Amino acid sequence: MTESPGLLGLDQAELDSCVACALCLPHCPTYRVTGADTHSPRGRIALMQVVDEGIAPLTDEIVEAFDSCIQCRACETACPGDVPFGHLLEATKEFVETTRGKAPWWLKLGLRGLTRPTLLRIGSSCLAVAQRLRLVPSRRLGLPQRLPVRRRALRATGDDVWLFTGCVMDAWQRDIHLATQEVIEATGTTVRPSGDATPCCGALHTHAGLGDEARRLATRVMSALNGDNAILVNSAGCGAALKDYGRLLDSDEARAFSARVFDIHEWLADRIDEIDAIPTEPAIAERVAVVDPCHLRHVQGSHMAVRKVLEPFVSEIVELDDEGMCCGAGGAYSLVQRQLALDVRDRKTEVINRSRADLVVSANPGCSMHLAATGLTVRHPIELIAEALRAR
Amino acid sequence: MKLRRRTRADGAGQHHADPCVAELIRALGEDRVRADGAARHLASADASMFSDGAAGPVCFPDSTEHVQAIMQVAARHDRAVLPRGAGSGLSGGAAPLGDPIVVSTTRMNRVLEVDEQDRVAWVQPGVINLDLTKQVTPLGLHFAPDPSSQQVCTIGGNVANNSGGPHCLAYGVTSAHVLAVEVVLSTGEAVVLGGLEAEPSGYDLRGAFVGSEGMFGIATKIAVRLTPNPESVRTLLLSFDTVADAAATVGSVIASGLVPAAVEMMDKRCVAAVEDFVHAGYPRGAAAVLLIEVDGLQRGVEADTEKVAEIGRAHGGTVRVAADEQERALLWKGRKSAFGAVARVAPDYYLHDTVVPRSKLVEVLEAVYEIVDRYDLTAVNVFHAGDGNLHPLMAYDSREPGVNERVAAAGREILEVSLAVGGVLSGEHGIGVEKRDFMEYQFTSADLEQQALLRRSFDPHCRLNPGKVLPSAHSCADIASLSASKVNGVWG
Repeated sequence: MTESPGLLGLDQAELDSCVACALCLPHCPTYRVTGADTHSPRGRIALMQVVDEGIAPLTDEIVEAFDSCIQCRACETACPGDVPFGHLLEATKEFVETTRGKAPWWLKLGLRGLTRPTLLRIGSSCLAVAQRLRLVPSRRLGLPQRLPVRRRALRATGDDVWLFTGCVMDAWQRDIHLATQEVIEATGTTVRPSGDATPCCGALHTHAGLGDEARRLATRVMSALNGDNAILVNSAGCGAALKDYGRLLDSDEARAFSARVFDIHEWLADRIDEIDAIPTEPAIAERVAVVDPCHLRHVQGSHMAVRKVLEPFVSEIVELDDEGMCCGAGGAYSLVQRQLALDVRDRKTEVINRSRADLVVSANPGCSMHLAATGLTVRHPIELIAEALRAR
Repeated sequence: MKLRRRTRADGAGQHHADPCVAELIRALGEDRVRADGAARHLASADASMFSDGAAGPVCFPDSTEHVQAIMQVAARHDRAVLPRGAGSGLSGGAAPLGDPIVVSTTRMNRVLEVDEQDRVAWVQPGVINLDLTKQVTPLGLHFAPDPSSQQVCTIGGNVANNSGGPHCLAYGVTSAHVLAVEVVLSTGEAVVLGGLEAEPSGYDLRGAFVGSEGMFGIATKIAVRLTPNPESVRTLLLSFDTVADAAATVGSVIASGLVPAAVEMMDKRCVAAVEDFVHAGYPRGAAAVLLIEVDGLQRGVEADTEKVAEIGRAHGGTVRVAADEQERALLWKGRKSAFGAVARVAPDYYLHDTVVPRSKLVEVLEAVYEIVDRYDLTAVNVFHAGDGNLHPLMAYDSREPGVNERVAAAGREILEVSLAVGGVLSGEHGIGVEKRDFMEYQFTSADLEQQALLRRSFDPHCRLNPGKVLPSAHSCADIASLSASKVNGVWG
């Protein structure tokens, strides 16, 4: 880390590593839908540079350029110079948040709610009842059409691995956790769900520039998931966040923790042969399109594992032709930047429709809910595997 | 929970104090005009090191009518106008001088019509080069000009710079692939230059327009030729212990009568940077590598592949043939990200562009290394060896005191060496600001005056992209005063 003399306090070497070649532009979802340099990675870095050097004041338009970033990090995959754009933007947003308090009050309130599991579950159940009474405009708010009123309990079967359960996913998509546990156990591995001891990974807080809160949550997760056993995560966004604790907290302990974290598909890909009696004929006849969550493909680089673990169970996997372009969900982004999120999603649904797939899978709760709001059927890859195993 | 409706960035914070901006907003709508510092600052540079001015308001038209309206507003306010595509140019062509109204073509990004039978597509200027090829791939066609920046650069920008690319060795540069262009002139009038027929009648104004660097008009629709994909393609990677062996191989391949689709060279430092990014198995130990592609009918391709390999081995090279499409794609990804990968060497680079006769490649390359060393800069070489189109790249750190002067001086010497052996100023990046003041090295005063006359016949008021290409003595613009706008900046 090179010390920064600049206003934003960014790592100077990271900031200087962009040569402005422009190869990131077509891979940026917000540049694609706006055509504006202010909405491109190269442009955002150039704006960080002029603010950092004190050449430009932190204008509303500059803040908007940073806020409009979905933080999908596809630009990092495209960058031949390995510019760590995600880190730069997170640090910039933290500076903006600290000096200007830009995040809307309702977002901060919502993010605080994520760290209170009981409250979150009660709140979601109330919301689910309200949905059934047609009191909530679910589609307009980008909510799933049918939230669960009750959830089946997760039970530990041993201590071979942790299953990280997180916040919204645990309250809204508990069934995916149950399916995940089933699949892990099919390899002869016992599971301990992390449950309320790890209420939230802090990814959304990092993205919103709430660095202190993110670090506090990271510390809490680390102390709850002690030991040496692997930590499996079935939400791409949470997995990416947990794997980044080493950098976030900058300690040996955090780096050791991050090394224990695996995306569920990544972990399963090495153990798929340990599952007994995999059917010789694929159990799922539909053509399945894999929508890669950005934080699985561009951050964790584990997206190929999804294909590998699905392959024995699915008759045909369809590749989308957009090189893993974002769907526009971006955690809380789709609430904060509604119009851009919808424009980016329109591009994605066009790509999905063009693929003529019957079914879409996504390994991230935010993405699946954002896409499902268009009427698409979106499942978690592990759910398909669990179903196929049950059909044995 | 009620979500607060937020204004979109486009159009936010517009001040209407400038009557020209107010008129642009009236003509185009608020979400198509931005006059704030952030938008103007980013429109003040392209991918080059040349940024001598500051952009005025930035417009995002999506139709010919919008571009006409912008031209009319500009005429009323006597403002310069600068078209801008992806901003990936390397000669400062899209970097403003003065404070022109910037016309960004990024929202004019539709492929309007594809005629499979006649292999012609009408596209808007903001269509990304590679997007067009991807769209027509299912038809077995592609757009042949493939600049290294093809994944980002726009076809409008290709037309403006008459861009080349690795495969232009066999297929010809952009001009050979543009049949007709709808152009909005500085008066606001829209005209069509060229035509779809094989031999259009009258003067070839299309030919004059292609490569005019945004100074003749703004292309709003372009009819491009689509090329059938070859039946078979083979890509060879040849590595050599000396740059001279690699260069000699290029000469022998061409002399043998073969016309490969592409012949690209990278030196050791370039290979290292590229390999760090793509992991394609480029040999780090080699002094130079050649990426040679042959295409055509399967039998011919097999024979040509063997012939190229033989020539390479005869010059002491080691030959690897890409086994499948995946390996081939990875090798090309490396070549086409070379200039961005230089970020691994230093934070800034100056990517030069000159053309020399193939027979002089070794001599000029040696001179390039000598010159760059002498100025204490880092030389990286990656270029289209087949047509002698050199891209010496100087990596440096612009914060080092005095380095910009050294880069400029080294660049000038490289140019002088290239011209001395019978080369030309630019292969494909355009003249822009970069080579403007060197035009007198290559052309006589009478030559330049003729070019200035042509420019004035398209744009009598010197409104479009003023201060580019033609040096001060022949330019209709007062270049010194245009550069002064930088002082005011965009943040005031």
